[in-house]
Amino acid sequence: MRITYPHMGNLYIVVRALFTNLGLDLVLPPPTSRRTVELGVRYAPEFACFPLKLNLGNFLEAWELGADTILMAGGVGPCRFGYYAQVQKEILDELGKSMEMVVLEPPDVSWREVRDKIRCLVGDISWWRIFKAIRFAWYKARAVDTVEERVLFLRPRTYEPHRLEEYRRQALRRIDEASDKREMDEILRDFNNQCRALPLRSGPFLRVGFVGEIFTVLEPFANYDMERRLGLLGVEVTRSIYLSAWINEHLFGGLLRVKGMEHVDKLAAPYLNSFVGGHGQETVGSTVEFGKQGYDGVVHVAPFTCMPEIVAHSILPAVSKDYGIPTLTFYLDEQSGEAGIQTRLEAFVDLMAARREKRRKENL
Amino acid sequence: MDLFLGIDVGSVSTNLVLLDAEGEPYVQPLYLRTQGQPIAVLQQGLALLEEQLSPRDRICGVGTTGSARFLAGVLVGADVIKNEITAHAVAALKIVPEVQTILEIGGQDSKIIILRDGIVVDFAMNTVCAAGTGSFLDQQAFRLNLSIEEFGEKALEATNPVRIAGRCTVFAESDMIHKQQMGHTLPDIIAGLCEALVRNYLNNVGKGLEILPPVVFQGGVAANLGMRAAFQKALQTEIIVPPYFNVMGAFGAALLAIDHAAEYGETKFRGFRVSEIQFQPRSFICKGCPNACEVVEIRQGKQVLARWGDRCGRWGITEQDSSQAGRSNLKSIS
Amino acid sequence: MIKVGIPRALLFYFYYPLWRAFFTELDIQVVVSPETNKRILDAGLRTALGEACLPVKLFFGHVLELSGKVDYLFVPRLISVEHKEYICPKFMGLSDMLRVRLANLPPIIDTALDVSGRRGLDWSHFFEKVGSIFTRDRHLIKRAYCSALEADKNFRRLLKSGLLPPEAMDAADGISEAAATSVASPGFLKIGLLGHPYNLYDSYISMNLIGKMRQMGASVVTPASVSDDLIDNQTKRLPKRLFWTLGKQMIGSALTFFENEKLDGVIYLTSFGCGPESLVGELVKRWAKHRGNPPFMMLTIDEHTGEAGLVTRLEAFIEMIKRRKKNEDHVPSYGQPVHCC
Repeated sequence: MRITYPHMGNLYIVVRALFTNLGLDLVLPPPTSRRTVELGVRYAPEFACFPLKLNLGNFLEAWELGADTILMAGGVGPCRFGYYAQVQKEILDELGKSMEMVVLEPPDVSWREVRDKIRCLVGDISWWRIFKAIRFAWYKARAVDTVEERVLFLRPRTYEPHRLEEYRRQALRRIDEASDKREMDEILRDFNNQCRALPLRSGPFLRVGFVGEIFTVLEPFANYDMERRLGLLGVEVTRSIYLSAWINEHLFGGLLRVKGMEHVDKLAAPYLNSFVGGHGQETVGSTVEFGKQGYDGVVHVAPFTCMPEIVAHSILPAVSKDYGIPTLTFYLDEQSGEAGIQTRLEAFVDLMAARREKRRKENL
Repeated sequence: MDLFLGIDVGSVSTNLVLLDAEGEPYVQPLYLRTQGQPIAVLQQGLALLEEQLSPRDRICGVGTTGSARFLAGVLVGADVIKNEITAHAVAALKIVPEVQTILEIGGQDSKIIILRDGIVVDFAMNTVCAAGTGSFLDQQAFRLNLSIEEFGEKALEATNPVRIAGRCTVFAESDMIHKQQMGHTLPDIIAGLCEALVRNYLNNVGKGLEILPPVVFQGGVAANLGMRAAFQKALQTEIIVPPYFNVMGAFGAALLAIDHAAEYGETKFRGFRVSEIQFQPRSFICKGCPNACEVVEIRQGKQVLARWGDRCGRWGITEQDSSQAGRSNLKSIS
Repeated sequence: MIKVGIPRALLFYFYYPLWRAFFTELDIQVVVSPETNKRILDAGLRTALGEACLPVKLFFGHVLELSGKVDYLFVPRLISVEHKEYICPKFMGLSDMLRVRLANLPPIIDTALDVSGRRGLDWSHFFEKVGSIFTRDRHLIKRAYCSALEADKNFRRLLKSGLLPPEAMDAADGISEAAATSVASPGFLKIGLLGHPYNLYDSYISMNLIGKMRQMGASVVTPASVSDDLIDNQTKRLPKRLFWTLGKQMIGSALTFFENEKLDGVIYLTSFGCGPESLVGELVKRWAKHRGNPPFMMLTIDEHTGEAGLVTRLEAFIEMIKRRKKNEDHVPSYGQPVHCC
């Protein structure tokens, strides 16, 4: 059994750690690239959402490398994500590239389903070993997020952005290769030392909240590297959700006490008093939260035709008005133009700077 | 005389504006067709400007904008590299300080900018298609065998503009042909087309935005009398078309250069000799990862002036320079 | 008399008889927006988010039509009408979107109906809550609820007999029994028409597709006549339980149609921008292709769709079926199936 999985940002590091420790044969698809997009777009339904197309591209590239089984997350909510696997399977079968699909999702009938699926994947391994593998993968997720958060903080401050990017790449590669927790602590220490040596400019810096559909937020390829673009424009970006929070929510059923999304649902209630599938409600709630914390703006990303985010986008003007926080929405897919994205981001940064300057003058 | 240069390199036109320190045009602004050769046209523009200057004139600041703002910025040595939304807003504010709405329709794109108390509070760009932009109007004028000026004037003769389904250029064109075949007069059809395009613009680009007067209409299409009238009719308010309506981006870039000079002094302008230098642009596919980014590189002799196009930033020798453009934001916008 | 407005859009086509009977019993006047027209469509396009699907945009138009004419707007938040299933995300957030994007609306009644979980809010809770806005008389509410169920049952019975929802609504009112005969009259062809009710039966937006098909000599069968049990049975065969109620209806009906040998063809009308349909429609399309029979065509409509284009495609499809039918004896049974789309 040669198992592959779809890319989502740095998730591969976590998956690799898990698989290696469970003794599974992992076929990592090449990082999502233009070729992935081309493959996905060619075979996916035209109006399916962008993540489905990218996933499909990953699968096709993994198939070329000899993968025969796909592991992916699923769901049983109103969002289309819940039925990706079935549609993708039809497409792969028709292309004569059939692969087995194992979908990890909240159980439809009982938790036994999940247990059976795991057993079928890992064979006869002790639960203790499974637990240890999961715990180790979790450490990696946390380490990855530590690096990412630090980079988001430093991007607007550093005079040498390319060096920072190099440190980031290095750290992530080493985390990926690390084989125990002590090694990871060392990597983080090295990374922090490197960062500390970078000369930094002093503020003030604009602060932007980055919200939206989770895949698009976490996968730089899907969001056209928006975090880096904003960072280079002198903006400190805060994500509404990080990889470890997503893992906790989707795979551990929210068992761990990590800052998750429940509290933002409450914040959304005055504007959107119902869950609408996907992360629509969280988008509204996170925007409220960023508004309350005095952020300068919110950038909202979603795949083109994403239903929950269309609902959220419809509602954002009200939040924006009440909290005086400007928002900018991007619907992204393979057709999005990079030049337009860059221009809009720059104009948005100018807009936020002008607002801040005006407030400053008023306070004098 | 101390002068400030504003350059707007877009996909359709390349515009250059020279302002004095008061922000008044010093020579006639240049409006040149880009014709897919941004470097050559920019050099040609610089040469044309230089001819009109006296030895005592001195360039004290340069701003660039437009979709090729980074390219232009690197070539001439710009002090400010600014997106076209901000540049247009700055220019309109100079001419109509109380402006609350800017309608901008250029050759291939259109935008709307909402301002309150002199600052930009919202904006939108067309994302769907080129319907209603200059290129489409040019095409239709050509099809009707009219110059674009005649096209605009004809619209004003309309007595009863026809209703044209104008949500998409293809449909608008076929509907127009249909109306012609039904025997409507030319002015009525042209006026109807202008109204359809304005409707389309307001429903798409302007959707959900509060359009308040004073309204400034700029960009190449503002020359079109038919479009002016159609906006006036749809918005029921006076439409102000600034004198240099088709070079407002460059105008704004020059104004930003003035502000920048006031704060930082020293310009990075490389001099008019730029117009004679051989630049070697080239592009290559980066093999560093499967992204296969197409990296563009501009060289002058052996020296690499700039590279861009890579997603990861590994080729970004001028990353800093380009980021500088955004970074000065906190102070340079008024 | 208090007036409650119900927009003639989206779930109206599923639940109008139910809702109307309830309000009428409470002595409340129900006002329905007129059938879709150009003004309603334009108003919807102007106010709803550009990225929304056509049916949601239309809903905005219908709400505007009622605004100012009624005391309340009835836009219930139907999250789930079946255990462990969901309606579409855009339906769930409908009332919230309306409040943000339209000014000066009358109060919106957006009571939630959610039977997805174990302790759901079912119809009886739902109506209790809605009723309590108008009266404290719980007996009256109960009575209204019973009469609503009765009306709904009658409506479903008429649907099963082959009437289309608008006809069944009329028939229930005794307005036009004639409509019933129009369906029963056998056409030369029998065609299955898939699509969401709010697309199929809004004759402005579907450009009177059903009428056009009938004019061309086809009798039309729609998902409205496929029973819930049959749909449940058909969808049991899916690799994964489908948890979208509306999508399930489409797939179940499609499978039923494909197996119905009396059908000469199947048409699937979808609207541009419909999320679930981008996947559900894809599956149906693929299955149709695998089966080869009956002939299948997908029609997508949006606000730009020209009537001429739709008619051309429809005519071509029906012509093809007619020719095929005529030549049936000459076609070898293993012959290449003919396809549109």
